Amino acid sequence: MFESIVSYGLAVGAIYAMTGITYNVMFSASRVFSFTAGMLGMLGGVLGAYFILQLGLPAIVGLVLVLACGALLGVVTEIVTVRPVLKNIEQHLYVLSTLAFALLVQQLTAIEWGTEAQPFPRLIPIGQGWLDQQFWLPMLACAVTIAGLEFLYRRTLVGRAFVAIAEDSYAARALGLPEQRLRLASFALAGVIGALAGFTGAEMLLAFFGNQAILNFYGFVPVALGGMGSNRGAVVGGLALGLFQQAANFLVGGIFAAVAVFVVFIVVLLLRPEGLAGGAAARRV
Amino acid sequence: MSIKRRQVLAGSAAVGAASLASGLAAPAIAANEPIKIGYLPALTGPSSSTGVGINRGSELAVKEINDAGGINGRKIELIVRDTQSDPTKAVNGAAELTKRQKVSIVWGPLNSGESLAAVPLVARDKVPELHPCWVDSLTDPAKYPMCFRNAPTNQQIGGAANTYVVDVLKLKKVAVVSDTTGYGTASVEAYVPMLKAKGADVVYSGHIDAANPDLKPDMLRMRDAGAQVVMPWSVNAGFLSRLLNTRGDMNWDIPVVGQTTLGSGQTKALLTKPEYWNKVYSNNFRNVCFTKDGKLPARASEFVARLDKANIEMGDTLLWWIALGYDGIKLIADTIKAAGDKPDQITAYWNKLSNWPGVYGNITFTPQQHNGFQDAEVVMCEVNSLKKGAFNLAPGYAS
Amino acid sequence: MAAVDQRAPAPAARSGLWARIEKASPLLAVGIAGLCFPLLGDDYWAVIIERACVYWVLVSGLNLVVGFAGQIAIGWVGLLTLGAYTTSAMTAGTALPAFPAYVALVASAAIGALFGVIVGLPALRLRTFYFAMTTLGFSTIVTQVALAWKSVTGGGVGTPGPVFPWPFDPGWGFYYFCLLLAGICTWMTYNIAGSRFGRALVAIRDAEVAAEASGVAKPALLVTVFLFSGALAGVAGGLFSSLQSYITPDAFTFDLSVLFFISILIGGRGSILGPLLGTLLLTVLPEFAAPLVAWSTFLYAALLLLIVLVIPGGIADLLDFKNRRPLERHREIVPRPELLSRILPHPGEPNVLALKGIVLHFGGVRAIDGLDLAIRSREIHGLIGPNGSGKTTTLNVISGYYKPSAGEAYLNGKPLPFEAPPTRAAHRIARTFQTPRLIGGASVLENVMIGGTIDGAGTFVESMLALPRHWRDEARLHEAAMLALAVVGLDQLASVRADRLQHSELRFMEIARALMLRPDFLLLDEPAAGLSAEEIRRLGALIKQISKEGTAVLLVEHHADLIFDICDRVTVLNLGKELAAGTPAEIRSHREVVSAYLGA
Repeated sequence: MFESIVSYGLAVGAIYAMTGITYNVMFSASRVFSFTAGMLGMLGGVLGAYFILQLGLPAIVGLVLVLACGALLGVVTEIVTVRPVLKNIEQHLYVLSTLAFALLVQQLTAIEWGTEAQPFPRLIPIGQGWLDQQFWLPMLACAVTIAGLEFLYRRTLVGRAFVAIAEDSYAARALGLPEQRLRLASFALAGVIGALAGFTGAEMLLAFFGNQAILNFYGFVPVALGGMGSNRGAVVGGLALGLFQQAANFLVGGIFAAVAVFVVFIVVLLLRPEGLAGGAAARRV
Repeated sequence: MSIKRRQVLAGSAAVGAASLASGLAAPAIAANEPIKIGYLPALTGPSSSTGVGINRGSELAVKEINDAGGINGRKIELIVRDTQSDPTKAVNGAAELTKRQKVSIVWGPLNSGESLAAVPLVARDKVPELHPCWVDSLTDPAKYPMCFRNAPTNQQIGGAANTYVVDVLKLKKVAVVSDTTGYGTASVEAYVPMLKAKGADVVYSGHIDAANPDLKPDMLRMRDAGAQVVMPWSVNAGFLSRLLNTRGDMNWDIPVVGQTTLGSGQTKALLTKPEYWNKVYSNNFRNVCFTKDGKLPARASEFVARLDKANIEMGDTLLWWIALGYDGIKLIADTIKAAGDKPDQITAYWNKLSNWPGVYGNITFTPQQHNGFQDAEVVMCEVNSLKKGAFNLAPGYAS
Repeated sequence: MAAVDQRAPAPAARSGLWARIEKASPLLAVGIAGLCFPLLGDDYWAVIIERACVYWVLVSGLNLVVGFAGQIAIGWVGLLTLGAYTTSAMTAGTALPAFPAYVALVASAAIGALFGVIVGLPALRLRTFYFAMTTLGFSTIVTQVALAWKSVTGGGVGTPGPVFPWPFDPGWGFYYFCLLLAGICTWMTYNIAGSRFGRALVAIRDAEVAAEASGVAKPALLVTVFLFSGALAGVAGGLFSSLQSYITPDAFTFDLSVLFFISILIGGRGSILGPLLGTLLLTVLPEFAAPLVAWSTFLYAALLLLIVLVIPGGIADLLDFKNRRPLERHREIVPRPELLSRILPHPGEPNVLALKGIVLHFGGVRAIDGLDLAIRSREIHGLIGPNGSGKTTTLNVISGYYKPSAGEAYLNGKPLPFEAPPTRAAHRIARTFQTPRLIGGASVLENVMIGGTIDGAGTFVESMLALPRHWRDEARLHEAAMLALAVVGLDQLASVRADRLQHSELRFMEIARALMLRPDFLLLDEPAAGLSAEEIRRLGALIKQISKEGTAVLLVEHHADLIFDICDRVTVLNLGKELAAGTPAEIRSHREVVSAYLGA
């Protein structure tokens, strides 16, 4: 039982962490939270199953296609639901526009793909039991994502530009940085990360349209607890959440596990609305 | 901005006017009005495996009857409202069928969860109803005098399964689980006391969310409790297949005895290894199972021949669902032909129905007994003997 | 250029019963249509209209939370579930002995109110998106509990719903019951919308800072609204369970939450009629074509996206013909300071507001580095200095938005606590803002009436039930606001939507709003920014008269001419410290001031 908790918990925690990073990357670029993070994860699994199982493509090709679709969806999200409402950001219209778009895609998937969880192909035939690749693939993907983002933000010019528009978009624009294009690129990057999370996690979560709601919520908890914009906080929060949830599943069963997660989430948020690692709110007057 | 708004307003007004016109169409007043039968299947949604299978039989029956000239010269019109496995939509659909379409009979809903909501409403509108749902409380000659069931009850199903586990397999420690639908929950509620009355030890009972991708924790708990057999009750093929896959991955060599959907082609398609289908026994019905000499009973084999001719797929579903769908419409048609299409005529005819010969089962009703299926016709079968939707009887199964 | 000149303030909008009926006529029309519907004799559509009424009972309450207060409460179906199970369990007698259906309905309202507050409380602490997520989590939890608590709810099997006895029994009786309750809810929420509470809710949504400055206490108001909204949702749940005749946990889907939420947004925020039509539309739409049912949520989401991107104001905006009429192009603002004596009190003793030794840090930056300042009645005190010298920050400290790390403030000798902006209004400290804070979708008159929120005597319940004190408050606020608008010269624009005004008009509107408090202290933050020379002159005359009436004025400005023209005392700030203080003449010739700020 212990190996199951650890292997499944860390693996699903890695998926939650990557979804949290997806939220963060979109937030950093635009100061908006988008409801599309869960959608990207869900489509990572559904499209992966479609390409590999139904179209019969090899797994690597399927992966590349899925990541491309993720980037495309990220771009569409930015153009259709974020850019038009950025001017009145205090109105929080982005919550509604991204929610509407995510719902559209979810319903379309439910109607076209079906409402039942379809199986996902076994990607690499190695590993047995608790060392099965379905567990360490998401963890590997998460590590790659973190390492990649660190490298991007610290060592490359483009990454530093991303950081600049996140910190102070006025100043960045004044310096001549192409804010709109950078934001578009950020959303595409977020799309890739979200789709990767869904693809590597689909062996466990299956290709299921209902994963969108699950990932939306459980992917958001690491962000809320770890502080918005903090990728490290998201990873720690995600892994902790995965382990906690799995332990609760084993010890008390599904319903109480969900209640327990929610209660912890609410209590932590009420005590520290900025999250455990977040910064203070900006001046509003 | 104003221009866009005006266009949107004009566009929506046009759409609104068009749908208003089509929606409020006046009923047709023709000389030879078709006989309207309301039909409430779940064609989409988590509990749609039954609906999809039953639908094939029902549509075939309607086609055959209409091709042969209809009932006393009138064609049958099957008015379908997909409930999407959702009780709210079932209520809306039932209301539309009884109040607006003014159907003569309602066939369905096909899932217990939806019937729990729809049956009282159809009864309130005094429309006769025939349904194949298993939950015991769905017929009640006193409360719902016009509601009849042409399928077994949970008591009959559970009785057969429990008898097989306790008396034939001779196992004492049982784990009983279901999904969280109305049907699943009602089944577990009914079967646990029945098992205890037979002297079995129910070491584990519970409900699992059918969408849960990981059944390992629950299965481990069952194993730790010492279960010698797992009895799952759900019509959700994904859930059942995941249960069988987990059993296989855990290398846990115990039999699984339960709901007939365990044997459906949909369940088989979702298994990760074909051997995970071994040692699985589900209930089924004598009239559509292979006899000892490997052939189907006469009526069933002739029915299968007709299905083949009409190119109706059987391998991805269950034969008894298709047969049940066929029988439902045939029974309704025979009733209207013999007695007429008014509610009291239909009810009176049914209250006296004796041994109506269906492909799926022989149906008998009395004024006190609105459950028409016979006990003896419920059997257990071995699911990995699936051939064209039908099965062999389970090993050790008496007669 | 047409000068808008009038001898007396523009006549107040017609009040009285007839005008009220005229304003509510669309809602009355819908109600009458509902009453007459049974004449058509269509039973099936009766079920659909009943469903729309039940949904509207919930949505009318949620409208105040989402449409008015702007809280993104998406998972409201959880309260419907609670209400439905409470009513069903109480009438079936599964937990307690069986109760009559009407009593059970009242109990559902109580449970709904309680959980409405519980679900809503996080809104006071969390950001928008976070709060939205918690409501989603809540509705999932309620469904799970309903599944698990078999003894009371029947678990997955579900439980039968209540049947209401005559005269509201199933059939047309129940139809009238649903219609009656929907009508009552419409009436109550309509009353609240037209009261100071409704306006305060919208102010919290669109101009929270200005709402605080006007004394609106956000927590108390939000809790009240969540209580009310939860109660309505509970009642809707009871009606829903009767409509369904049998409830199971899978009847309460996320799709329903989406339907409720989107009805409000399609209808338009801040409106009652809009969401009513939105609810009707979304309930009725899938019934027009059976294939549409499977696509219903898809269509709702598409509609929502369309609305957000193209018509953020929703149906209410489309129906707002009044505000399509073009305004006069070349409008002049002609304040009438002589009317001020009707508004401002003549204080007995002179008032003093003093700051002593204020030090305020923002991270590593010392925004204010040891400041002493005093403003007195009948004195206009100017505060000038380069950008970043701490002028607006000083105002914000006085307003109570920031807590300094050292120093105190005194009002007439008594200490004034920090970090409590809504308390300033009761002390008659009013202010305007560097960027005008307005409620774009409300009329100019309504924007100004916000300023007088704390002077209302009636309670929320009195407004909800349209009792006499509510009407007296409204009449008084209306009259005071028209007078304030006449003082600043904007009374001709009283019924115009605020976001159609020019920038300079908005600045004067803020002053009118501040005057509603009959302030002893008036803090003005760069009121002349963006004004023409003539407008600045008139502004100056207005401020002078305000000061003469006895108000203490603190004027933060960059327009040196205005400062030296009207101020009695001037303080110059630099790097958070006082650089110089004295009369305008002294300051104008002060060497350091000239070199640091004014120029040679």
